[in-house]
Amino acid sequence: MHLLTAALQILLPILYFGTIWAYARAFFSSVKEAEAIKTPLLFGTIACHILYIVLRSVEYGHPPITSIFEILSLMSLTVALVYALIELKTKNTATGYFILIFPFFFQLLSSLFIRELGEIPPILRSNLLGFHVFSALFGYAAITISAVYGFLYLMLYHDIKSSHFSVIYKRLPNLEMLERMSFTATLSGFLLLTVAIIVGLIWLPRAIVDYSYTDPKLLGTVAIWCIYAVGLGAKQIAGWQGRRIMVLSVAGFAIALFSMSIVNMFFTGFHKFY
Amino acid sequence: MNIHCLGINHRTAPIEVREKLWFSDAELPGVLASLKEGRMAECALVSTCNRTELYYVPAPGVTNGSPLWPTLAAKKNAAEAFRDEHFYSYSGMDAVRQLYRVVSGIDSMVLGDVQIINQVKEAFACAQANHCTGILLNRLYNTALHVGKRSRSETEIGEGAVSVSYAAAELASKIFEDLSRRTAMLIGAGETGKLTAKHLKGRNLGKMIFANRTRAHAEHLAEILGGVVVDFERFALELQGVDILISSVNSNTHVLTAPALRQAMKSRGNSPLFIIDIGVPRNIDPAANTIDNVFLHDIDGLNQIIDGNLSHRRAQTPKVERIINEEAAVFEQWHASLDVSPTIVELREAFEAIRSEEVGKHSHHFDPVTSEAVDMLTKRIINKILHAPMSNLKNGTGEHASDDTRTKVYFIRHLFGLDKRTHHENKD
Repeated sequence: MHLLTAALQILLPILYFGTIWAYARAFFSSVKEAEAIKTPLLFGTIACHILYIVLRSVEYGHPPITSIFEILSLMSLTVALVYALIELKTKNTATGYFILIFPFFFQLLSSLFIRELGEIPPILRSNLLGFHVFSALFGYAAITISAVYGFLYLMLYHDIKSSHFSVIYKRLPNLEMLERMSFTATLSGFLLLTVAIIVGLIWLPRAIVDYSYTDPKLLGTVAIWCIYAVGLGAKQIAGWQGRRIMVLSVAGFAIALFSMSIVNMFFTGFHKFY
Repeated sequence: MNIHCLGINHRTAPIEVREKLWFSDAELPGVLASLKEGRMAECALVSTCNRTELYYVPAPGVTNGSPLWPTLAAKKNAAEAFRDEHFYSYSGMDAVRQLYRVVSGIDSMVLGDVQIINQVKEAFACAQANHCTGILLNRLYNTALHVGKRSRSETEIGEGAVSVSYAAAELASKIFEDLSRRTAMLIGAGETGKLTAKHLKGRNLGKMIFANRTRAHAEHLAEILGGVVVDFERFALELQGVDILISSVNSNTHVLTAPALRQAMKSRGNSPLFIIDIGVPRNIDPAANTIDNVFLHDIDGLNQIIDGNLSHRRAQTPKVERIINEEAAVFEQWHASLDVSPTIVELREAFEAIRSEEVGKHSHHFDPVTSEAVDMLTKRIINKILHAPMSNLKNGTGEHASDDTRTKVYFIRHLFGLDKRTHHENKD
């Protein structure tokens, strides 16, 4: 089993690279063979990734949430999985290249630096924590995808406005669909983050004695949640649509990325386990 | 190869000449029948607004010496309108390639024209229905359709809009997901505006509104295309419920200014508005394009799309030529297979293969001497069976088979499945 896990650890970045290569060839050069293999390749890669996560969890006796590189691998899987679901639902395969770049880099970093910790703190073996982490990761994966769709929307918007009809114009789906895909991803991300926060708040007093509600990561997550709540409110109540709401989606993701990077780099708190 | 093509098209003759040789669907059966009766074994006539082409196989004994176009022109009583240089003719594989070029769209006035496949289909269907085609033209037609399909599926020769109205409709589909939930308004009544409205309707547009300074014109359009009419003076107020505005008005001033549009956008909750300004001078204030969610495109912007698409289609031409060469080689090979000698050899090989397989299966029942006798006996039987048909096929044929002999060869190949056998061997 150890051998298979080790092989998958090496194989996964290669598979993700192969997948984004196929999506890129299909998008930019309309290569028919790439068009035909890209989706099966994605599903094959996801299946290998799920197998890798399961094998690793069984082998080490805990969910893969004990180090930043295990989390990166999970993040990679969740982004790929959420994208695959969107592709299945919308039947649109044109945007894969722009999204699957993220799982490739996440998994590459994970495969290069992942190490099993000598001793796992008992706190990280909790199933409730596992649920909290999974829902948070799926939430972040969804808002990442939402931001990518937002970004693609803005590129296509610019192309159409300026009569600059590049490959982006030719291959991407229409503006309305991109907006809908971004909105669906945002809504899913927001709901998952809500679940993650609620589960986290239930788990917190049970697991940690000296917890604090002013923990930087907790505050950062709540701030991100508030930004998305305002954005969704602007769309649903104030009727924002088109470019403005897409700018908000990209900006929300940039703020989330920035604030989480700052919190992880410069602050310490109970929410840091490794 | 005894296939020929005589044609006139947009490159060799102006429209006023071409139109004199255009045959309607009703005329075709009569023309084909009279052509076949005179000097042709097979014939099919492709007649569109940009070309008239006759594909034919001369009747036995008829040489292809004298020009054929006067005969064709005589069918329209217009021989005096034409000159030799209006026509082109191809023979053999050049004629085959010409039909392949036509059907793939690379010989069309609008490069990559998608309608031509159906036009060729209809032309040959008419020829078949009137018993004017035989082995050669049937094969030519089937392979030409295959070339047309391959050109469309393996290249992008037919991709992208190449007319202003189509480009506008395509652009609308890049903004809106489902046009059946959208409303378009046409102000003015220019020809391109009408065509754009028609294309949008073709894409399942939800609702159409017409406004014109002369209300009767708008009512006429609404009757033809389906939709409702509003007073021209009220069109700006209607923008609240409109997603696509097509403007084609004769006016020296802007019929819609940027401030007015900004106001209208507020009333419509800032939802995307696509404006196609086909008017010259422009009808819509160009500053409107700076407003969020307003996509304003004038005639230059649309022409830019067309130029881009045409140059993309031109870049696809070598790929299409490659397909044509591949299929032409297959056709040539098929035609060569209709010669007598290779067919005799293949038929002998096919019979010999069956004989040796069956003898081999049962050889263990015999001792070596008997086995040799069985081998000799079965070979003699095969030779005797094949002797009469082989002699009849060989009789009267020179190096190249006549059309009558080719027909016999064709049926022999078909009956004994020689083409399939050759195909399998080539694959192996």
